Amino acid sequence: MAKKTTRVPEAGGWPDAVAVPALIAGAVLTTVGFLMAFLWAAPVNGAALSAPELVGDVMVTHQQLISQKIFYFHMPVAIVSFVALAFGAYYGIRFLMTREQRFDTCSRVAMEIALLFVVLTMITGDLWTRFEWGVWWTWEPRLTTYLILMLIAIAYFVLRNAVDDPERRATYAGVVSVIALVDVPVCFMITRLIPSSIHPVVAREGGMSPDMAATVFVVLAGMMLVGYGLYRLRFREARLGERLQALKDMLE
Amino acid sequence: MPRVAPSTFSQYRTLLAKDLRQEFRTREMLTSMGIYALLVIIVYGAALALTAHGVDIVHMGGGLLWVLIVFTSLLGLARSFAREKEQGCMEGVLLVPLDRSVVFLAKATSNILFMLAVEVIAVPLFYFFFMTSEPAAPTLPFIVAPLLVGTVGMAGIGTMLSTITSNTRSADVMLAVLFIPLIYPLLYACVTATTAAIAGTEFWTDFFVMPLVLACGYDVVMLLVCWVLYDFVVSA
Repeated sequence: MAKKTTRVPEAGGWPDAVAVPALIAGAVLTTVGFLMAFLWAAPVNGAALSAPELVGDVMVTHQQLISQKIFYFHMPVAIVSFVALAFGAYYGIRFLMTREQRFDTCSRVAMEIALLFVVLTMITGDLWTRFEWGVWWTWEPRLTTYLILMLIAIAYFVLRNAVDDPERRATYAGVVSVIALVDVPVCFMITRLIPSSIHPVVAREGGMSPDMAATVFVVLAGMMLVGYGLYRLRFREARLGERLQALKDMLE
Repeated sequence: MPRVAPSTFSQYRTLLAKDLRQEFRTREMLTSMGIYALLVIIVYGAALALTAHGVDIVHMGGGLLWVLIVFTSLLGLARSFAREKEQGCMEGVLLVPLDRSVVFLAKATSNILFMLAVEVIAVPLFYFFFMTSEPAAPTLPFIVAPLLVGTVGMAGIGTMLSTITSNTRSADVMLAVLFIPLIYPLLYACVTATTAAIAGTEFWTDFFVMPLVLACGYDVVMLLVCWVLYDFVVSA
């Protein structure tokens, strides 16, 4: 009976060749998006203010209109973190199915990228919180669920450090990466389930104007490329390290 | 006479009976969890000593009660698998050709029972020490629902995590690091529902039903995920 072979990811193929160009392209796109956000995209709903003014019942200042620009980075970074977590869980499941250590390496690297982007989301979000709502932190549902997501991602690495046996470590890590993914929809849906949340549901509130959407899209594409490039480079490093270790073991 | 393999349910019953019998003989878990709960209440007494008359206990009570439950169950969950490992009991159970998810269900059920037993003592005590200064709302008995839903979810997730952490270094800390973030959505919903029932204001059902439904949903999803993944964890 022919054994079904599983394709395992390996370093050194074409994906590694495009990793550095992807990283550079991502950096360029993000920079372009940054310039677009400030120079091209109009303030929300075409508002322009020279002095503080009462809009609706809310006192709006120029600072708030400028701080809204964080949105163009905040949302793409959050989406990339969700994607990275999804990949972490996907490779975690692949490991549990095949018991192939390399999937565990993939899962770990994806979780590292996820943690990086989760932290970036927290930083951009916190700056925004400060300027928009005037506080550094508030126990608002999405902020809180996202904080939880960050804690789970950190706990994932704490757990990895606390287990010695590689096989067992990989199994536990795979399981936790799947459980972490369960929190992503919770995090995503919370603004829809608890309407009192201050986070807007962008799609519900009339969507974005074309110039806003274009800027978000450029930054999102840039961040995706950065995430991909980092993932491949980190994976190659981890993988080459493993191969070196295997060679060393053979020599002994 | 042909040997008939025992049904899944009888396997479940046997495993559950084993846990309960062990507990009745040693009374290790219930004593330690019960005393711990009492100690947390005493710490509350010190923490609230100077504010006892000024603090809005009706709206804080639900939260304080859940802090008590979370930490007490954390203690119990950490013990529940450490004990199995000390006695080498887990190896014995795993040698039996049975579906691993039965092990999960039995262990989760026994954890639910222990936690409920402690809550039966701790919740009235908490009421006695802190809540009698205010007249009880007529909706107070409804706190049973969030307590039950929360306990089921916490025991389910906790059973899974304590299986994982019982094989790690510094198991107790590791359990807390994983447990508290993962139960957070459940905790948030249960605190909201409990507080709504304790305060019992005019529109209390709005803050009671919706969080309870969300908590049930989280329970179902988490228990299913844990149930499916348990095989990998316990065999590793």
